[in-house]
Amino acid sequence: MLNKKINVMVLTCSMLAGLTFASVANAHPRWVLPSHFTISKEGGDWLSFDVTASHGVFVFDKPAGSETAQIIMPDGRKQRPDFVLRGKRRSVFDFHFSEQGTHKVQINNQAGYFTSFKAGHRDTPKRLRANKVDRVALLPKEPRDVVTTETYTRAESYITVGKPSEKAFELEGKYLELLPVTHPSDIVADEPVRLQFYFNGEAQAGVKVDITREGTLYRNHQEQIDVVSDEQGFITFTPEVAGRYLLKASYKAKLVDSPLADQMSANVHFTFEAMLP
Amino acid sequence: MKINKLYKGGWGVVLVLLSSISVVMPSVAKPVPSSAHMDIELILPNVVTSIYARPYVAVWIADTEGKSVRTIQLWVGKDEWLKDLRSWWRKVGRNDRAVVDAVTSATRPAGKYRFSWDGLDEQGERVEQGQYTFYVEVVREHGGRNYLRQKLQLAEQSFTHQLEPTQETGQITINYNVK
Repeated sequence: MLNKKINVMVLTCSMLAGLTFASVANAHPRWVLPSHFTISKEGGDWLSFDVTASHGVFVFDKPAGSETAQIIMPDGRKQRPDFVLRGKRRSVFDFHFSEQGTHKVQINNQAGYFTSFKAGHRDTPKRLRANKVDRVALLPKEPRDVVTTETYTRAESYITVGKPSEKAFELEGKYLELLPVTHPSDIVADEPVRLQFYFNGEAQAGVKVDITREGTLYRNHQEQIDVVSDEQGFITFTPEVAGRYLLKASYKAKLVDSPLADQMSANVHFTFEAMLP
Repeated sequence: MKINKLYKGGWGVVLVLLSSISVVMPSVAKPVPSSAHMDIELILPNVVTSIYARPYVAVWIADTEGKSVRTIQLWVGKDEWLKDLRSWWRKVGRNDRAVVDAVTSATRPAGKYRFSWDGLDEQGERVEQGQYTFYVEVVREHGGRNYLRQKLQLAEQSFTHQLEPTQETGQITINYNVK
Protein backbone atom coordinates (compact mmCIF):
# COMPACT_ATOMS: atom_id res chain seq x y z
CA MET A 1 0.00 0.00 0.00
CA LEU A 2 2.67 2.45 1.08
CA ASN A 3 4.92 1.20 -1.68
CA LYS A 4 2.20 1.77 -4.23
CA LYS A 5 1.71 5.33 -2.96
CA ILE A 6 5.38 6.10 -3.30
CA ASN A 7 5.41 4.63 -6.78
CA VAL A 8 2.53 6.85 -7.82
CA MET A 9 4.31 9.82 -6.29
CA VAL A 10 7.51 9.08 -8.16
CA LEU A 11 5.55 8.71 -11.37
CA THR A 12 3.69 11.98 -10.81
CA CYS A 13 6.89 13.75 -9.89
CA SER A 14 8.76 12.47 -12.90
CA MET A 15 5.84 13.39 -15.15
CA LEU A 16 5.82 16.87 -13.69
CA ALA A 17 9.59 17.02 -13.95
CA GLY A 18 9.28 15.85 -17.51
CA LEU A 19 6.91 18.67 -18.28
CA THR A 20 8.91 21.30 -16.44
CA PHE A 21 12.24 20.16 -17.71
CA ALA A 22 11.28 19.80 -21.29
CA SER A 23 12.49 23.37 -21.46
CA VAL A 24 15.76 22.55 -19.72
CA ALA A 25 16.33 19.37 -21.68
CA ASN A 26 15.67 21.11 -24.97
CA ALA A 27 17.18 24.27 -23.52
CA HIS A 28 14.59 26.78 -24.69
CA PRO A 29 16.73 29.85 -24.12
CA ARG A 30 15.01 32.59 -22.15
CA TRP A 31 15.70 36.09 -23.42
CA VAL A 32 14.53 39.69 -23.34
CA LEU A 33 13.91 41.88 -26.37
CA PRO A 34 13.77 45.67 -25.83
CA SER A 35 11.62 47.78 -28.15
CA HIS A 36 14.56 50.23 -28.46
CA PHE A 37 18.14 50.32 -27.18
CA THR A 38 18.71 54.07 -27.42
CA ILE A 39 16.77 57.09 -26.15
CA SER A 40 17.42 60.65 -27.29
CA LYS A 41 14.20 62.27 -26.05
CA GLU A 42 14.78 64.96 -23.44
CA GLY A 43 13.09 63.93 -20.21
CA GLY A 44 13.26 60.24 -21.16
CA ASP A 45 10.85 57.82 -22.76
CA TRP A 46 8.87 54.61 -22.26
CA LEU A 47 10.30 51.38 -23.58
CA SER A 48 8.65 47.98 -23.78
CA PHE A 49 10.31 44.58 -23.21
CA ASP A 50 9.26 41.14 -24.38
CA VAL A 51 10.39 38.13 -22.36
CA THR A 52 10.02 34.58 -23.67
CA ALA A 53 11.85 31.28 -23.98
CA SER A 54 12.28 29.94 -27.48
CA HIS A 55 14.57 28.25 -29.97
CA GLY A 56 14.16 30.95 -32.60
CA VAL A 57 16.03 34.22 -32.19
CA PHE A 58 13.37 36.74 -31.23
CA VAL A 59 10.51 34.37 -32.03
CA PHE A 60 8.10 34.28 -29.09
CA ASP A 61 7.30 30.82 -27.76
CA LYS A 62 7.04 30.04 -24.01
CA PRO A 63 5.65 32.62 -21.58
CA ALA A 64 8.71 33.16 -19.38
CA GLY A 65 7.79 35.56 -16.59
CA SER A 66 8.87 39.17 -16.11
CA GLU A 67 7.98 39.33 -12.42
CA THR A 68 11.63 39.24 -11.40
CA ALA A 69 12.70 41.89 -13.94
CA GLN A 70 14.99 44.59 -12.62
CA ILE A 71 16.38 47.76 -14.11
CA ILE A 72 19.81 48.72 -12.83
CA MET A 73 19.95 52.49 -13.06
CA PRO A 74 23.03 54.45 -14.23
CA ASP A 75 23.95 55.08 -10.56
CA GLY A 76 23.69 51.38 -9.68
CA ARG A 77 20.38 51.32 -7.77
CA LYS A 78 17.72 48.82 -8.75
CA GLN A 79 14.17 49.55 -9.93
CA ARG A 80 11.18 47.36 -10.74
CA PRO A 81 9.28 47.58 -14.02
CA ASP A 82 6.13 49.71 -14.09
CA PHE A 83 3.76 47.35 -15.90
CA VAL A 84 4.00 43.59 -16.21
CA LEU A 85 1.67 41.39 -18.25
CA ARG A 86 1.84 37.70 -18.97
CA GLY A 87 0.49 36.22 -22.17
CA LYS A 88 0.55 32.73 -23.55
CA ARG A 89 3.68 33.15 -25.62
CA ARG A 90 5.57 35.87 -23.80
CA SER A 91 5.44 38.28 -20.93
CA VAL A 92 5.83 42.03 -21.30
CA PHE A 93 6.95 44.88 -19.11
CA ASP A 94 7.31 48.60 -19.65
CA PHE A 95 9.60 51.07 -17.96
CA HIS A 96 10.03 54.83 -18.16
CA PHE A 97 13.71 55.64 -18.65
CA SER A 98 14.43 59.20 -17.57
CA GLU A 99 17.94 59.22 -16.13
CA GLN A 100 20.91 59.93 -18.36
CA GLY A 101 23.33 57.05 -18.82
CA THR A 102 23.37 53.31 -19.40
CA HIS A 103 20.81 51.05 -17.70
CA LYS A 104 21.08 47.28 -17.39
CA VAL A 105 17.83 45.36 -17.75
CA GLN A 106 17.89 41.86 -16.27
CA ILE A 107 15.46 39.03 -15.71
CA ASN A 108 17.26 36.52 -13.50
CA ASN A 109 15.21 33.76 -11.97
CA GLN A 110 16.11 31.74 -8.88
CA ALA A 111 18.66 28.98 -9.19
CA GLY A 112 16.99 25.69 -10.20
CA TYR A 113 17.99 22.07 -9.64
CA PHE A 114 17.44 18.94 -11.64
CA THR A 115 18.71 15.40 -11.19
CA SER A 116 19.33 13.16 -14.15
CA PHE A 117 19.77 9.42 -13.81
CA LYS A 118 19.30 6.11 -15.55
CA ALA A 119 16.87 3.45 -14.36
CA GLY A 120 15.12 0.26 -15.43
CA HIS A 121 16.39 -2.66 -17.51
CA ARG A 122 16.97 -0.47 -20.51
CA ASP A 123 18.93 2.26 -18.70
CA THR A 124 16.29 4.80 -19.65
CA PRO A 125 17.56 8.37 -19.02
CA LYS A 126 15.27 10.23 -16.62
CA ARG A 127 15.09 13.57 -14.89
CA LEU A 128 13.73 14.81 -11.59
CA ARG A 129 13.21 18.33 -10.44
CA ALA A 130 15.17 17.83 -7.25
CA ASN A 131 18.40 18.82 -5.56
CA LYS A 132 20.79 16.39 -3.84
CA VAL A 133 18.82 16.46 -0.58
CA ASP A 134 15.36 16.03 -2.07
CA ARG A 135 16.41 13.45 -4.64
CA VAL A 136 16.97 10.81 -1.95
CA ALA A 137 13.24 10.37 -1.41
CA LEU A 138 12.40 10.53 -5.11
CA LEU A 139 14.94 8.30 -6.86
CA PRO A 140 13.88 4.70 -7.67
CA LYS A 141 15.83 1.71 -6.40
CA GLU A 142 19.30 1.28 -7.87
CA PRO A 143 19.46 4.40 -10.04
CA ARG A 144 22.60 4.74 -12.15
CA ASP A 145 24.65 7.77 -13.23
CA VAL A 146 22.89 10.11 -10.83
CA VAL A 147 23.96 13.72 -11.37
CA THR A 148 22.31 16.81 -9.89
CA THR A 149 22.79 20.06 -11.77
CA GLU A 150 22.20 23.58 -10.48
CA THR A 151 21.11 25.92 -13.28
CA TYR A 152 21.09 29.69 -13.36
CA THR A 153 20.36 31.83 -16.40
CA ARG A 154 20.65 35.58 -16.75
CA ALA A 155 18.62 37.26 -19.48
CA GLU A 156 19.88 40.80 -19.97
CA SER A 157 20.26 43.84 -22.18
CA TYR A 158 21.41 47.46 -21.96
CA ILE A 159 19.54 50.70 -22.63
CA THR A 160 21.32 54.01 -23.02
CA VAL A 161 19.71 57.42 -22.49
CA GLY A 162 21.89 60.23 -23.87
CA LYS A 163 25.53 59.86 -22.89
CA PRO A 164 26.64 56.27 -22.17
CA SER A 165 27.94 55.29 -18.71
CA GLU A 166 29.40 52.13 -17.13
CA LYS A 167 28.33 51.98 -13.49
CA ALA A 168 25.48 49.55 -14.33
CA PHE A 169 28.08 47.01 -15.58
CA GLU A 170 29.14 46.17 -12.00
CA LEU A 171 29.17 42.43 -11.36
CA GLU A 172 27.46 40.54 -8.54
CA GLY A 173 30.29 38.00 -8.31
CA LYS A 174 27.83 35.10 -8.65
CA TYR A 175 27.33 32.48 -11.34
CA LEU A 176 28.25 33.36 -14.91
CA GLU A 177 28.40 37.08 -15.73
CA LEU A 178 29.19 39.22 -18.74
CA LEU A 179 31.25 42.39 -18.47
CA PRO A 180 31.08 44.59 -21.57
CA VAL A 181 34.46 45.85 -22.80
CA THR A 182 33.01 47.30 -25.99
CA HIS A 183 30.15 49.43 -24.66
CA PRO A 184 26.82 47.88 -25.78
CA SER A 185 25.78 51.24 -27.27
CA ASP A 186 28.96 51.23 -29.40
CA ILE A 187 28.38 47.91 -31.15
CA VAL A 188 28.53 48.66 -34.87
CA ALA A 189 28.30 46.30 -37.85
CA ASP A 190 31.73 45.28 -39.17
CA GLU A 191 33.58 46.47 -36.06
CA PRO A 192 35.04 44.02 -33.51
CA VAL A 193 33.19 43.56 -30.21
CA ARG A 194 35.09 42.57 -27.06
CA LEU A 195 33.39 41.16 -23.95
CA GLN A 196 34.63 39.43 -20.81
CA PHE A 197 33.13 36.56 -18.82
CA TYR A 198 33.33 35.94 -15.11
CA PHE A 199 32.31 32.90 -13.09
CA ASN A 200 31.71 33.48 -9.36
CA GLY A 201 33.61 36.75 -9.61
CA GLU A 202 36.70 35.38 -11.39
CA ALA A 203 37.58 35.86 -15.07
CA GLN A 204 36.67 32.56 -16.69
CA ALA A 205 38.30 30.72 -19.58
CA GLY A 206 36.37 28.18 -21.64
CA VAL A 207 32.96 29.87 -21.66
CA LYS A 208 31.14 28.72 -24.80
CA VAL A 209 29.40 31.52 -26.65
CA ASP A 210 27.19 31.59 -29.71
CA ILE A 211 25.87 34.76 -31.32
CA THR A 212 22.97 34.80 -33.76
CA ARG A 213 21.29 37.61 -35.64
CA GLU A 214 17.49 37.70 -35.68
CA GLY A 215 15.52 36.46 -38.67
CA THR A 216 16.78 32.86 -38.88
CA LEU A 217 13.36 31.85 -40.26
CA TYR A 218 14.03 33.89 -43.37
CA ARG A 219 17.48 32.65 -44.30
CA ASN A 220 18.86 29.21 -45.09
CA HIS A 221 21.82 29.34 -42.74
CA GLN A 222 21.95 30.27 -39.07
CA GLU A 223 25.02 32.44 -39.67
CA GLN A 224 25.91 31.80 -36.06
CA ILE A 225 29.20 33.01 -34.63
CA ASP A 226 30.84 30.54 -32.19
CA VAL A 227 33.59 31.62 -29.82
CA VAL A 228 35.15 30.41 -26.56
CA SER A 229 36.54 32.74 -23.90
CA ASP A 230 40.33 32.90 -23.55
CA GLU A 231 42.49 32.62 -20.40
CA GLN A 232 41.34 36.06 -19.18
CA GLY A 233 37.72 35.38 -20.03
CA PHE A 234 37.69 37.57 -23.16
CA ILE A 235 35.88 36.94 -26.41
CA THR A 236 36.14 39.00 -29.60
CA PHE A 237 33.82 38.73 -32.58
CA THR A 238 32.60 40.91 -35.43
CA PRO A 239 28.90 41.18 -36.29
CA GLU A 240 29.03 41.64 -40.04
CA VAL A 241 25.48 42.86 -40.50
CA ALA A 242 23.55 45.54 -38.60
CA GLY A 243 20.63 44.15 -36.63
CA ARG A 244 19.50 42.67 -33.34
CA TYR A 245 21.51 39.76 -31.95
CA LEU A 246 21.13 37.18 -29.20
CA LEU A 247 24.34 36.09 -27.49
CA LYS A 248 24.13 32.84 -25.51
CA ALA A 249 27.01 32.05 -23.18
CA SER A 250 27.22 28.88 -21.13
CA TYR A 251 29.64 27.43 -18.64
CA LYS A 252 29.55 24.13 -16.77
CA ALA A 253 31.57 23.52 -13.64
CA LYS A 254 31.90 20.68 -11.13
CA LEU A 255 30.71 21.65 -7.68
CA VAL A 256 32.95 20.14 -5.01
CA ASP A 257 31.45 21.26 -1.72
CA SER A 258 27.83 22.00 -2.58
CA PRO A 259 25.33 20.02 -0.48
CA LEU A 260 22.67 20.56 -3.17
CA ALA A 261 24.30 19.82 -6.53
CA ASP A 262 27.17 17.97 -8.22
CA GLN A 263 27.62 20.45 -11.04
CA MET A 264 26.67 23.93 -12.16
CA SER A 265 25.27 24.99 -15.51
CA ALA A 266 25.33 28.78 -15.74
CA ASN A 267 24.16 30.87 -18.66
CA VAL A 268 24.03 34.47 -19.82
CA HIS A 269 21.64 35.43 -22.61
CA PHE A 270 22.52 38.92 -23.77
CA THR A 271 20.47 40.84 -26.34
CA PHE A 272 22.12 43.67 -28.28
CA GLU A 273 21.91 45.65 -31.48
CA ALA A 274 24.69 46.15 -33.98
CA MET A 275 24.10 49.57 -35.50
CA LEU A 276 24.63 50.69 -39.06
CA PRO A 277 28.13 52.10 -39.53
CA MET B 1 90.81 73.00 -26.01
CA LYS B 2 88.98 69.74 -25.57
CA ILE B 3 86.34 71.36 -23.45
CA ASN B 4 85.85 74.04 -26.08
CA LYS B 5 85.23 71.41 -28.77
CA LEU B 6 82.69 69.65 -26.67
CA TYR B 7 81.05 72.94 -25.93
CA LYS B 8 80.83 73.71 -29.64
CA GLY B 9 79.51 70.27 -30.43
CA GLY B 10 76.91 70.66 -27.72
CA TRP B 11 75.65 73.88 -29.24
CA GLY B 12 75.46 72.23 -32.60
CA VAL B 13 73.04 69.66 -31.22
CA VAL B 14 70.95 72.35 -29.60
CA LEU B 15 70.86 74.33 -32.84
CA VAL B 16 69.73 71.27 -34.81
CA LEU B 17 67.02 70.64 -32.24
CA LEU B 18 65.86 74.25 -32.31
CA SER B 19 65.74 74.37 -36.10
CA SER B 20 63.74 71.12 -36.29
CA ILE B 21 61.29 72.47 -33.75
CA SER B 22 60.94 75.75 -35.61
CA VAL B 23 60.19 73.82 -38.81
CA VAL B 24 57.71 71.33 -37.32
CA MET B 25 55.84 73.35 -34.72
CA PRO B 26 54.02 75.95 -36.88
CA SER B 27 52.58 73.41 -39.34
CA VAL B 28 51.08 71.46 -36.38
CA ALA B 29 49.48 74.31 -34.50
CA LYS B 30 48.70 76.75 -37.33
CA PRO B 31 44.99 77.56 -37.49
CA VAL B 32 43.11 77.84 -40.77
CA PRO B 33 43.23 81.42 -42.13
CA SER B 34 40.67 83.75 -40.56
CA SER B 35 39.29 84.44 -44.02
CA ALA B 36 38.64 80.73 -44.61
CA HIS B 37 35.04 79.64 -44.79
CA MET B 38 33.21 76.72 -46.28
CA ASP B 39 30.04 77.19 -48.29
CA ILE B 40 27.83 74.17 -48.65
CA GLU B 41 24.99 73.68 -51.09
CA LEU B 42 22.75 70.73 -50.35
CA ILE B 43 19.76 69.52 -52.33
CA LEU B 44 16.99 67.47 -50.73
CA PRO B 45 15.39 65.63 -53.64
CA ASN B 46 11.70 65.38 -54.36
CA VAL B 47 10.68 61.88 -53.35
CA VAL B 48 7.35 60.58 -54.59
CA THR B 49 6.19 57.80 -52.29
CA SER B 50 3.16 56.53 -50.37
CA ILE B 51 4.01 58.23 -47.08
CA TYR B 52 6.43 61.13 -47.29
CA ALA B 53 8.00 62.72 -44.23
CA ARG B 54 10.63 65.43 -44.31
CA PRO B 55 14.05 63.88 -43.70
CA TYR B 56 16.23 64.33 -40.63
CA VAL B 57 19.56 65.86 -41.62
CA ALA B 58 22.88 66.20 -39.81
CA VAL B 59 25.95 67.88 -41.31
CA TRP B 60 29.19 67.87 -39.34
CA ILE B 61 32.98 68.03 -39.53
CA ALA B 62 35.23 65.61 -37.65
CA ASP B 63 38.98 65.22 -37.23
CA THR B 64 41.03 62.24 -38.44
CA GLU B 65 40.10 60.28 -35.30
CA GLY B 66 36.40 60.71 -36.02
CA LYS B 67 35.97 63.18 -33.15
CA SER B 68 33.42 65.83 -34.05
CA VAL B 69 34.76 69.35 -34.44
CA ARG B 70 31.51 71.12 -35.28
CA THR B 71 27.92 70.22 -36.09
CA ILE B 72 27.01 72.66 -38.86
CA GLN B 73 23.35 71.78 -39.42
CA LEU B 74 20.85 69.59 -37.57
CA TRP B 75 17.31 69.41 -38.93
CA VAL B 76 15.23 67.16 -36.75
CA GLY B 77 12.36 68.88 -35.01
CA LYS B 78 11.65 66.70 -31.97
CA ASP B 79 14.63 65.41 -29.99
CA GLU B 80 12.95 62.00 -29.75
CA TRP B 81 14.09 61.37 -33.33
CA LEU B 82 17.71 62.48 -32.89
CA LYS B 83 18.71 58.85 -32.32
CA ASP B 84 17.45 57.95 -35.81
CA LEU B 85 20.45 59.84 -37.19
CA ARG B 86 22.36 56.75 -36.07
CA SER B 87 25.92 57.83 -36.78
CA TRP B 88 25.55 61.46 -35.79
CA TRP B 89 23.81 60.50 -32.53
CA ARG B 90 26.45 57.92 -31.56
CA LYS B 91 29.47 59.99 -32.54
CA VAL B 92 28.27 63.47 -31.61
CA GLY B 93 24.79 64.11 -30.25
CA ARG B 94 24.57 61.79 -27.26
CA ASN B 95 27.84 63.13 -25.84
CA ASP B 96 26.96 66.80 -25.80
CA ARG B 97 23.44 68.02 -25.16
CA ALA B 98 24.59 71.65 -25.41
CA VAL B 99 25.59 71.16 -29.04
CA VAL B 100 22.17 69.70 -29.79
CA ASP B 101 20.34 72.60 -28.17
CA ALA B 102 22.58 75.16 -29.90
CA VAL B 103 22.22 73.88 -33.45
CA THR B 104 18.93 71.97 -33.74
CA SER B 105 16.22 73.29 -36.05
CA ALA B 106 13.10 72.17 -37.88
CA THR B 107 13.02 69.70 -40.77
CA ARG B 108 12.93 71.13 -44.30
CA PRO B 109 10.96 70.19 -47.42
CA ALA B 110 12.63 69.14 -50.67
CA GLY B 111 14.68 71.97 -52.19
CA LYS B 112 18.08 73.58 -52.48
CA TYR B 113 19.77 74.80 -49.27
CA ARG B 114 22.86 76.91 -48.72
CA PHE B 115 24.75 77.29 -45.47
CA SER B 116 28.33 77.91 -44.46
CA TRP B 117 30.90 77.05 -41.83
CA ASP B 118 33.19 79.70 -40.37
CA GLY B 119 36.10 77.37 -39.55
CA LEU B 120 35.38 77.50 -35.81
CA ASP B 121 34.91 74.48 -33.56
CA GLU B 122 32.16 74.05 -30.95
CA GLN B 123 34.18 76.12 -28.47
CA GLY B 124 34.53 79.02 -30.94
CA GLU B 125 38.24 78.35 -31.61
CA ARG B 126 39.58 78.43 -35.16
CA VAL B 127 40.48 74.84 -36.10
CA GLU B 128 44.06 73.87 -36.90
CA GLN B 129 45.10 73.22 -40.47
CA GLY B 130 45.07 69.58 -41.43
CA GLN B 131 42.90 66.72 -42.59
CA TYR B 132 39.23 66.54 -41.66
CA THR B 133 36.12 64.69 -42.82
CA PHE B 134 32.84 66.23 -43.86
CA TYR B 135 29.78 64.12 -42.97
CA VAL B 136 26.17 64.27 -44.13
CA GLU B 137 23.58 61.86 -42.70
CA VAL B 138 20.04 61.98 -44.06
CA VAL B 139 17.31 59.73 -42.66
CA ARG B 140 13.67 59.72 -43.72
CA GLU B 141 10.83 58.10 -41.80
CA HIS B 142 9.19 55.50 -44.08
CA GLY B 143 12.24 56.01 -46.26
CA GLY B 144 15.92 55.35 -46.48
CA ARG B 145 19.16 56.57 -44.99
CA ASN B 146 22.23 57.89 -46.74
CA TYR B 147 25.49 58.54 -45.00
CA LEU B 148 28.06 60.49 -47.03
CA ARG B 149 31.68 61.26 -46.24
CA GLN B 150 34.23 63.53 -47.89
CA LYS B 151 37.85 63.98 -46.79
CA LEU B 152 38.98 67.61 -46.63
CA GLN B 153 42.44 69.19 -46.49
CA LEU B 154 41.84 72.42 -44.62
CA ALA B 155 44.84 74.72 -45.20
CA GLU B 156 45.55 77.87 -47.23
CA GLN B 157 44.32 76.45 -50.54
CA SER B 158 40.75 76.91 -51.70
CA PHE B 159 39.01 73.84 -53.13
CA THR B 160 35.65 72.50 -54.30
CA HIS B 161 34.19 69.02 -53.85
CA GLN B 162 31.00 67.67 -55.36
CA LEU B 163 29.23 64.68 -53.89
CA GLU B 164 27.12 62.65 -56.29
CA PRO B 165 23.37 62.35 -55.65
CA THR B 166 22.04 59.40 -53.63
CA GLN B 167 18.46 58.30 -52.96
CA GLU B 168 18.01 60.73 -50.09
CA THR B 169 20.40 63.51 -51.19
CA GLY B 170 20.71 65.54 -54.35
CA GLN B 171 24.04 66.98 -55.41
CA ILE B 172 26.12 68.40 -52.55
CA THR B 173 28.76 71.02 -53.27
CA ILE B 174 31.46 71.95 -50.78
CA ASN B 175 33.34 75.18 -51.46
CA TYR B 176 36.30 75.99 -49.23
CA ASN B 177 37.35 79.59 -49.80
CA VAL B 178 40.47 81.35 -48.61
CA LYS B 179 40.80 84.95 -49.74
